[in-house]
Amino acid sequence: MTSVIERPVTEAQAERRNGPPLETVERVVRPMPDRYRNPIGPYKVRRSADCRSCAVCVDICPYGVHVKPAGYNLPLRPRDYLCIGPKCAETDHYCVEHCPNRALSVGHNPTADAIGDPRWTSDLLLATWRQAETGSMTSVGDLEYRHGASGGGFDALRFRFPQTPATVAPEDVDTRLELNHRDDGRPRVTIDLPIYGGGMSFGSVSIHVMIARARAAIAWNTFTCTGEGGYPERLQPYDDHVITQVATGLFGVREETIQRVRIVEFKYAQGAKPGLGGHLLGDKNTPDVARMRQAVAGNALFSPFPFHSVYSVEDHKKHIDWIKAINARALTSVKVSTPTDVDMVAVGSYHAGAHIIHIDGSYGGTGAAPDIAKKNIAMPIEYAIPRVHRFLVEEGVRDEVVLIASGGLRTADDVLKAIALGADGAVVGTAEIVALGCIRCGNCESGRGCARGIATTDRKLIEQVQVDWATQRLINMYAAWRERMVDVLARMGMSSVSELRGRHDCLRRVRWGEEDVDD
Amino acid sequence: MTDAADRIVRSRAELLEGRPRVVEPRASDEGGCGVTGFACSIPVRGRHIYEPSVQMHNRGNGKGGGIAAAGLVADDVGVSQEVLDSHYLLQIALLDPKARGEVEEAYITPNFDAALSMRMATIDDFRDVPGLEVKPPDVQRYLLRVKPSVLSEFAERNGLADLPSREVEDEFVYRNSVRLNDSFYASLGEQRAFVLSHGRNLVVFKIVGYAEQIVQYYRLEDLRAHVWIAHQRYPTKGRVWHPGGAHPFVGLNEALVHNGDFANYHSVAEYLLQRNIRPQFLTDTEVSALLFDLWSRVYKYPLEHVIEALAPTTERDFDQLPEEKQRLYRRLQAAHIHGSPDGPWFFIIARSLPDEGRYQLLGITDTAMLRPQVFALSDGDVQIGLICSEKQAIDATLHSLAAEDPRFCPIADRYWNARGGSHTDGGAFLFNVEGNGHKTLTCTDKFGRPVTAGSASVRCDVPASHDAAASMREAVRDCLGRQDAQGLFRYAVDNLPAWEPDGLRSFCNALADEAREGQSMTPAIEALTLLRDRRYETGDKRRSSVLRVVDESLTALFETAVPFGTPNGIRYRRIDWDTRHQLAPPEPGEETLVVNVERFPPEGDECDSLLVRRAYEMGWRRFICYGYRGQRFAGCGLGPDSDGLRIDVYGSSGDYLASGIDGLSIYVHGSGQDQLGQIMNRGRLVVYGDVGQTFLYGAKGGETYVLGNAAGRPLINAVGRPRVVINGTCLDFLAESFMAGDPLDGGGFAIVNGMEFDDRGRLVSQPAPYPGSNLFSLASGGAIYIRDPHGLVDEAQLNGGELGPLAEEDWLLIRPYLEENERLFGISIDELLTVDGGAREPEEVYRKVSAVKLRVLAAKGEDSDDVGD
Repeated sequence: MTSVIERPVTEAQAERRNGPPLETVERVVRPMPDRYRNPIGPYKVRRSADCRSCAVCVDICPYGVHVKPAGYNLPLRPRDYLCIGPKCAETDHYCVEHCPNRALSVGHNPTADAIGDPRWTSDLLLATWRQAETGSMTSVGDLEYRHGASGGGFDALRFRFPQTPATVAPEDVDTRLELNHRDDGRPRVTIDLPIYGGGMSFGSVSIHVMIARARAAIAWNTFTCTGEGGYPERLQPYDDHVITQVATGLFGVREETIQRVRIVEFKYAQGAKPGLGGHLLGDKNTPDVARMRQAVAGNALFSPFPFHSVYSVEDHKKHIDWIKAINARALTSVKVSTPTDVDMVAVGSYHAGAHIIHIDGSYGGTGAAPDIAKKNIAMPIEYAIPRVHRFLVEEGVRDEVVLIASGGLRTADDVLKAIALGADGAVVGTAEIVALGCIRCGNCESGRGCARGIATTDRKLIEQVQVDWATQRLINMYAAWRERMVDVLARMGMSSVSELRGRHDCLRRVRWGEEDVDD
Repeated sequence: MTDAADRIVRSRAELLEGRPRVVEPRASDEGGCGVTGFACSIPVRGRHIYEPSVQMHNRGNGKGGGIAAAGLVADDVGVSQEVLDSHYLLQIALLDPKARGEVEEAYITPNFDAALSMRMATIDDFRDVPGLEVKPPDVQRYLLRVKPSVLSEFAERNGLADLPSREVEDEFVYRNSVRLNDSFYASLGEQRAFVLSHGRNLVVFKIVGYAEQIVQYYRLEDLRAHVWIAHQRYPTKGRVWHPGGAHPFVGLNEALVHNGDFANYHSVAEYLLQRNIRPQFLTDTEVSALLFDLWSRVYKYPLEHVIEALAPTTERDFDQLPEEKQRLYRRLQAAHIHGSPDGPWFFIIARSLPDEGRYQLLGITDTAMLRPQVFALSDGDVQIGLICSEKQAIDATLHSLAAEDPRFCPIADRYWNARGGSHTDGGAFLFNVEGNGHKTLTCTDKFGRPVTAGSASVRCDVPASHDAAASMREAVRDCLGRQDAQGLFRYAVDNLPAWEPDGLRSFCNALADEAREGQSMTPAIEALTLLRDRRYETGDKRRSSVLRVVDESLTALFETAVPFGTPNGIRYRRIDWDTRHQLAPPEPGEETLVVNVERFPPEGDECDSLLVRRAYEMGWRRFICYGYRGQRFAGCGLGPDSDGLRIDVYGSSGDYLASGIDGLSIYVHGSGQDQLGQIMNRGRLVVYGDVGQTFLYGAKGGETYVLGNAAGRPLINAVGRPRVVINGTCLDFLAESFMAGDPLDGGGFAIVNGMEFDDRGRLVSQPAPYPGSNLFSLASGGAIYIRDPHGLVDEAQLNGGELGPLAEEDWLLIRPYLEENERLFGISIDELLTVDGGAREPEEVYRKVSAVKLRVLAAKGEDSDDVGD
């Protein structure tokens, strides 16, 4: 299955002064299987020693679980991640039934049961992998791809579709988001999905992951963010789709890195660990990372929890004015966590001249954020979004600023729920990492870093993730997400994602103990 | 607590009758603001608080401004001095003008004898004040004494009859206002009226707008007072319809403005509630004023103790206090720590003590110095002390005053920062105006130690009485002919002490004339710049007046450069706000663009730094920028590889100067403000003065030279290879989390000389090369080389670093930077290596603070990291 969608040409290409030419990446969905030979699936198919290699199973399985290549005497180990499970018994191609020697059995895969947690359930992980592999929603089968099982937050919210069937055709649904709502002479910047990538620093993830995220951002005409670890040279061909983050440690932030981009993000806090600053442990401060940050290898690197130059809202305005003076075409985004007065912070940021207010809730964060902080500080994002949205409306400035939510938004459904609660769009981090094969083991920070080669800068480990593969996985995942978003919006009778903003009435909450009925 | 204080506090329970004893949440968040204030030995007009308020517009958002004045002139109020001093000056804001009758019936007429009751005059239509969007409240002013019968009944009822009657009357007035506010403001759904101020000889005005609009609306331009304070507020809640939350807030005899944000509002409010004080306006600032009033008026604490209760002395600074003081402070802290504001804050307080004939201006900073603050003092026929968020606002005040009254000099004799919670100055300074009839102003720190402006008394910024003598003219011509700026400088410095008061003026006039005629601007500018930058013996002349003459001469020279569109024969071309659209590339022979930045906005798309950037893109490589009034971002945005570009900055430059520079050189001929050199990567920054807060935050490299001191938190999170020489000292948190590699292998370092100049321009050691704690905390790379021949820096000041001797390779590393330092500032290495009159070896004078491998930094397997940013 392949689809190509026209991508508008960005400006700035012409006026570019420094650096290599900007690259383009086609928005084409191509199958991109897992990079491991035996990917994890929900079911386990076992073939016993009774198998006589008759290949009946190979002939009847339409999913490609059983394969016997030409010239092989025996079928391969079943590719059971493709199996639809015991419910196949209801069909006429259930291999277990058809096997003349009763050599096959199908059951739950204990590995799949072992991964995940109530927020990122096994089903969500597997569904995300399938989306990243195929670029389509149909591939997820009966996996619960819409929400997790935490019982709270977005997991307790469901869409409330209209009783009468909607009349909007999917191809008429507009998912674009304009990021500059101020009339301040700075450029309009439109992204094709109401989503862009969250900050992940060089150091926290590998250069391959950073480049893949940037390339996927180009394909989808959206953005990715440097995080706080400098702007690797290899990202320069993607300048127009990279957000330079200015965070409290100011690592790797130079005038040049501020000037080369279209959006600059101030990171005041992270929702997963507000008030704790950043902390890259000594182990992950490899020579490459230290070079990028111009620090001493092997030493832990701290980002202070405040900007030492910003202790008040008028300092904050000055800070934004500074970046605007350095880059006259940049939009500015302010990323804050969700304290109880987040509404005041948001309005203060608006008055300070920010284009984007990015509120980061507490469900996000990888294994690196301390458990004691995650979900335990600040307000849940599903409370913060409506609060900020409402306050901005009351203050009469809602339409002059873009409200972006992040912090544990895992799925297209989560993004739409955030928008229905009052956000304009969302920032996504962990889901992208999951698309690249993260199993949420939570050991991002230990030793040389991620065993799957994602959250590491170890020169050997990073080779596990190749740029082209990772780029395609991300393009695919977003293609699937867009499919889902369009489907939901069309059923809602909306021709643009912007119509959903603040429509609480499109959501309902599943109360504790209540039976969960699908709409 | 004395018995009397106890009785006052207990009897205040009557104010809380029928109300739940719970702390109400803070009404609104507000971060910072702009605060300013000055105290003067003569009464000065309200129009002079106008300028600094305008200059700090960008610290407010026009949703709250306030001013207070103490020590008024009886004639201006329309009463006798006796009445002004003895009566309570009650000002009520009538949000609902119809409330006046009800207010008077309930709270004025039955309780007071009035010597005056008047509605404050205003201009006819508030919309005539540009930018004012909300009509300011009507203000009703009264001069009142409590009726004797009412007072004695009050004293009896509260068991205060044995107290001096003035104290009882103070308390009555305070409680009457609390009740008035309760009835007409705090407890109502609708807010109709509230008390602005009720102390003696003290007035407060507040509006929804900018502070200076008060002066315009209430026509206070000509109102005279000894002490003025003003506040630009930045509330984050948008729609504000009345100024109840604006500063200043009053206790009784003091008005307080505040820049900052408490972390413990609830705790402070709870502390007050336990003492029967219930906040009514629910802001940080209100509770601060209430604390001050409680401690100073009710508890009768001396100022030092009030300051200690607000900003406790901690850590090593506490250990440095005399034992007796430690005992006292420990008790103060134990009693009041829950009422001590925590977080970033800076207070300016105007205080009126008419019984003592005193008016005071006080500035107090929090222990960690998280808000910007500058103090200044000027002596002479009139004396003035100033406190401000930004130095440029102090300069604006002085300019405004000097333009009206030649007794003021537009440059102060001294500028300095307070070191919060310290044993050295206590983080607070007091300007005290006192005396019967002729008043004098003195300045002391928290501990009562005087601050003086120096002994020189002659002002040389007088007009020249005659032309320069032939010999002077000859010398000037001679030096100019040889392009000898040094010669001109030496000539002036050698002769200045002996010159008549107008001698310098004659010299400068001659220099300007000759330079113009001989088209030798460059040596003239260089010579005058040396006179501005260097320290030297001025004899009986006030240095501030010398600088004024030099500055005016420099400005005159700069203005001889012609604007665009005019044929030019010299290397200089001038541009200003009016001609900014005529900017063009340099013509052959033109080298320097002289930019008068005076009327450029301090930030935004029209600001001067963007003009410089456009000029740079057109090919200009040399800039002289003068006339700064706090304009920010000088030198920013010029991008990487800007080598060969040089900017000279004259005037009161603003925040973020040189932040981000990557190759260019920028010379600041004067002091810098806050946030200089952030993320600086390459190039050179030279400051011929002090620098403010968070200097070189996150810097990556470059060379920086500072003649004076750095305020709090310099060089935090600096990485790479910054090379920095600071000839003065730093207040605190120097080079926290410094990560600049191995200085001996290309990494970065800072040299701290800990020197200053005495009244006669001689280089002397400061009492301690580094007085604070938190030196090089958690640093993992780089080094501090500190001039400490007496070994005054100790381990207790470190948090992770280690003190060691200077090795030969260290000296070889830093020597070239000290040589450059000598060239720039005239501070010779020989002088630095001279201790108590004797020459020493470098290793006897300098010590090295270097990073140690800390377990906390290199630990393995801890469960925190930063994936996801």
